[in-house]
Amino acid sequence: MKEKAVVADIDRSMYDFRYEEKDAYKVDEGLTPEIVEQISKEKNDPKWMHDFRLKSLETYHQIQVPQWGPSIEGLDMDHIVTYVRPKDNKMVKDWEDVPTDIKDTFEKLGIPQAERKSLAGVGAQYDSELVYHNVKDEVAAQGVIYTDLESAMHGEYADMIQKHFMKLVPPSDHKFAALHGAVWSGGSFVYVPKGVHVEIPLQSYFRLNAKGAGQFEHTLIIVDEGAYLHFIEGCSAPKYNVANLHAGCVELFVGKNATLRYSTIENWSKNMYNLNTKRARVEEGGKVEWISGSFGSHVSYLYPMSVLAGKGSRSEFTGVTFAGAGQNLDTGCKVIHNAPDTSSYVNTRSISKGGGISTFRSSVVVTDKAKGAKSSVSCESLMLDDISRSDTIPAMDIRTDDADIGHEAKIGRISDEVVFYLMSRGMSEEDARALIVSGFADNVSKELPLEYAVEMNNLIRLEMKGSIG
Amino acid sequence: MNSMIVNTLPSPTWNWLHMNEQTIEDFPKLEEGAVLIEVPQEVEAEAKEAFTTSNVKTGMGEEFLNMIENSGIDIDYFEAKGDTRVSEPLRVEIEYQDQVNAVNAAEILVPEGSHLVCVMNFTSDDKACGNAAMETLYHVAKNASLTLIQVTSLSDEVNFFNDIGGECDEKGEFSLIQVVLGGKKTYLGSHTALSGYKSRLSTDLAYLVKGNSGLDVNYVASHTGKKTGCDIRANGVLRDHGQKMFRGTIDFVKGCAGAVGSEVEDVLLMDETVSNQTIPVILCAEEDVEGTHGATIGKLPEDLMFYLKSRGMSEKAIYEMMAIARIEAVADKITDEKTRTLIANRLGKAEEV
Repeated sequence: MKEKAVVADIDRSMYDFRYEEKDAYKVDEGLTPEIVEQISKEKNDPKWMHDFRLKSLETYHQIQVPQWGPSIEGLDMDHIVTYVRPKDNKMVKDWEDVPTDIKDTFEKLGIPQAERKSLAGVGAQYDSELVYHNVKDEVAAQGVIYTDLESAMHGEYADMIQKHFMKLVPPSDHKFAALHGAVWSGGSFVYVPKGVHVEIPLQSYFRLNAKGAGQFEHTLIIVDEGAYLHFIEGCSAPKYNVANLHAGCVELFVGKNATLRYSTIENWSKNMYNLNTKRARVEEGGKVEWISGSFGSHVSYLYPMSVLAGKGSRSEFTGVTFAGAGQNLDTGCKVIHNAPDTSSYVNTRSISKGGGISTFRSSVVVTDKAKGAKSSVSCESLMLDDISRSDTIPAMDIRTDDADIGHEAKIGRISDEVVFYLMSRGMSEEDARALIVSGFADNVSKELPLEYAVEMNNLIRLEMKGSIG
Repeated sequence: MNSMIVNTLPSPTWNWLHMNEQTIEDFPKLEEGAVLIEVPQEVEAEAKEAFTTSNVKTGMGEEFLNMIENSGIDIDYFEAKGDTRVSEPLRVEIEYQDQVNAVNAAEILVPEGSHLVCVMNFTSDDKACGNAAMETLYHVAKNASLTLIQVTSLSDEVNFFNDIGGECDEKGEFSLIQVVLGGKKTYLGSHTALSGYKSRLSTDLAYLVKGNSGLDVNYVASHTGKKTGCDIRANGVLRDHGQKMFRGTIDFVKGCAGAVGSEVEDVLLMDETVSNQTIPVILCAEEDVEGTHGATIGKLPEDLMFYLKSRGMSEKAIYEMMAIARIEAVADKITDEKTRTLIANRLGKAEEV
């Protein structure tokens, strides 16, 4: 008789620390026009943004919660604080000027060290506000703009922000896009001029410290014609016994023959509802590459979308999702082929363990304009015990004969023979299984910069700790 | 007339894709249709007022089954003798004519150790128009098998609702072969409960959807028994303004250890105005299973085209040949000569179009 998995609680102490929120400025719990007005005032919004927020709130109330994904009954918007500003908040360009407890937080997460070693620029958001933003001089000298969105909205890029803000993800898209439109705060604006190659990545890190709060950062990236950028996004939070909410929004505009690689290691705490929206529009000959590692949160709805709008544009999505105890992670991607000779490639891995639920959900839509479109979708799922669940729900909608669409999916368990082989070479069963799972997720880790690949493998080891059987 | 929701996906996805279910507006009230039945000696047949089995799930769903059950029609009930390999097919022939407003229902029981082939042919004259429906429930007992062959060859003005549901006991096998060669809007649903140890489902669908026709499919294989297996294969051709929606779900329910499921779809798109929707789903709540699905949609492979063109065939001729080959590949699995002839004749007619 086979022995079944024995799963220990996961040690997340590396991420699960918190500081008192004393003296932080907060709006009241809930979602009212008054609260939205208050946030708008705090942010010193221009008139159009003020009106946009209120209109988004109206839209929010008109849209139903999704009927098709994981339950979000535990999320009570009447008890979510939508804006928290840390005490003494002002955005600085030197870590020494960041308030001590906030700086300690990012030190523990390794962000300043990473900036020194391997990044072209860093933005650090703590609760609802950016506390640090800096870009290396040589990158700035190339004309690259990397700043907080609020500043950009008042400066020389104001028109560019107004032209692009929530145009890819309109508030009417879904309920939490509307929520985002109403209460967004923080996030980054990146502009890479024509022909500029940013050789080393930029990174934004989002930390949600406040209990029962929401984080609604907005990331807007414009990569102009022929340019290249790798942008890394990281996120974490301490665990509380009440729901926290993350409803960020990422809008990426990839110009003609430009390339944008967008990498995410998502490690929210397991009380988090991660209802994030990410979308890219790719022009002629351009390419967007999504690298996505989803490890944290209680419930996730996360499906980065690529709109292939220009002839010959491409998208690649490489993802791994690891759902452990108490997690229901509904992840995947969407691709819309809306121009000739476009191509998309999707390669994902899902792992379920300890009662976790992992769902891969995707859609590939090929319109009648997308003659010569090619798409390949591959998803594999691994079940590590018999109390977990793994579903695969891929959809394809093809409206032209001149297309070449392939899809394959596989679900199964770790082969006993492989574990036996590794154990016969001297490995413990736990190490053998962790090695197999790391190898299973190799599609993502090999696409990440080394430091982040190591972090991802550490997360997998944490998740696998105590798993035997 | 009321609206009716059919072919509901067991695990819904984004509403904007319009794949979760199909709503039939103004579903008509249907009356019992005429049927010609040939019953082999080893099968008992009688008309019953209601289905003998209860709690059966069907592919088209509860609303449709309720409609059938409440329609007041007789159920054509068939039960094979025990431990018998029935020598001739049970044959159910329905030909729709003129104004169609017909519904029929059948229940097939295959007792322990028996093996039965049932052929159902649905045809119509070219002038027929209206709506027709068929409900088939079945139960395959221990070590028994049922092969159900259904060929639909209807005029372009007949909507057809064809629903199936049943269960397989230990080592019971259900094979479903469906060939769709015509009809205005054809709805197919099939739900198989693989509850018995080592029970198996094999499904082959071949379709040719052309003109302004449509096909809407919902297949569900529910694995609850240990070491159960399913193979779902769909092969089809879309041309003109043909529309097709294929939902295929393999559901590994907790406890079905050792189960294996596979689902493959291959669609040839022959005109730029076709519409193809596909959603192959695997639901898995059991660790010790193997599930796979694959789909290939679009044109013929370039290397195949190159080879055939180098042999002197035109692109149009290649596509015509490959379209017919897809249907014939499934038709070749049908052992009943009469049905194969029906398909061949229809394909010959299709070639001329």
